[in-house]
Amino acid sequence: MNPDNGINTRPCADSCGTMPACAPLAVPYVPFQQQGSLKYDQTNALANGTVFPSLNLPFHLKVDAAGLPANLSTQLQALLFVVTELGLYLDTHQNDVEAFQLFQQYTEMARKAKKQYEEVHGPLTSLSAGQDKTYRWLDDPWPWEFQKNEGD
Amino acid sequence: MFVYEKKLQYPVRVKNCNPKLAAVIISQYGGPDGELGASLRYLSQRYAMPYPELKGLLTDIGTEELGHLEMVGTLVHQLTRNLNEDQIRTAGFDAYFVDHTTGVYPQFASGYPWSASTMQVTGDIIADLTENLAAEQKARLTYDNILRLSDDPDVNNVIRFLREREIVHFQRFGETNQSR
Repeated sequence: MNPDNGINTRPCADSCGTMPACAPLAVPYVPFQQQGSLKYDQTNALANGTVFPSLNLPFHLKVDAAGLPANLSTQLQALLFVVTELGLYLDTHQNDVEAFQLFQQYTEMARKAKKQYEEVHGPLTSLSAGQDKTYRWLDDPWPWEFQKNEGD
Repeated sequence: MFVYEKKLQYPVRVKNCNPKLAAVIISQYGGPDGELGASLRYLSQRYAMPYPELKGLLTDIGTEELGHLEMVGTLVHQLTRNLNEDQIRTAGFDAYFVDHTTGVYPQFASGYPWSASTMQVTGDIIADLTENLAAEQKARLTYDNILRLSDDPDVNNVIRFLREREIVHFQRFGETNQSR
């Protein structure tokens, strides 16, 4: 868990959300996630498929936590995953200032991690391929190709 | 405009060949509730959406689904690499093999090719968003069923991740009725 989770004044438990007191009929509603929800750090977010413990609702027969390799590639995936996840959250919570600040921090961390990753493994986009010394875009492995976890 | 990023959203490293499992996982590539239909549904619904948060959410989730399509294709590819003579005769995979060898083709687990008739773009906000809530649940339950059928931990980690994303997407689509 992220140590600096801000607990604002929230009417419900973390695993619950709010519903409108009065709402138009004949429209489907899902409880609205409250601001200041608890959050995992990026490694646990990637392993669980969400940054929010309250939304982590695993299939009851298979709940073993995923063991992810600790390498540059997974670190980058974890940071970019949190950027994606917080981006979706902000799409429906655009006024959550604290979540936006966290989003800004993660985008900055992801930007640095991307640069570090590309120095070792080659370009992630054609834009960065053009900033390389030689044309390394075609270098193996491509993302779908099997790689062992070692030697990353 | 889309720009390709040469990485997967979540690591996929499947050591063991298992064509029988690949033949059911293919359904999340091009099946009735798979990732191809999901991405096309959301990216196509955007044009008729009047509100910025809906344009944004459909763009962002539709784009993420394209990343999931790549992950599912990767699972099928890795589960069928280095097939031997006996494995191509595996019950459940031989029918796929005769048409596609070890290529990754968008089809249902039953062999029916991907069809746009599995998705809808109505041009109506409430109808589209309600369709999307149902679509996320159908994709979630397909992943439940894949978990019921699979005992490969390398595969299950990836399926668990994809399944959890369906839950988060359901939550976000459901919130749009209250986000303004």
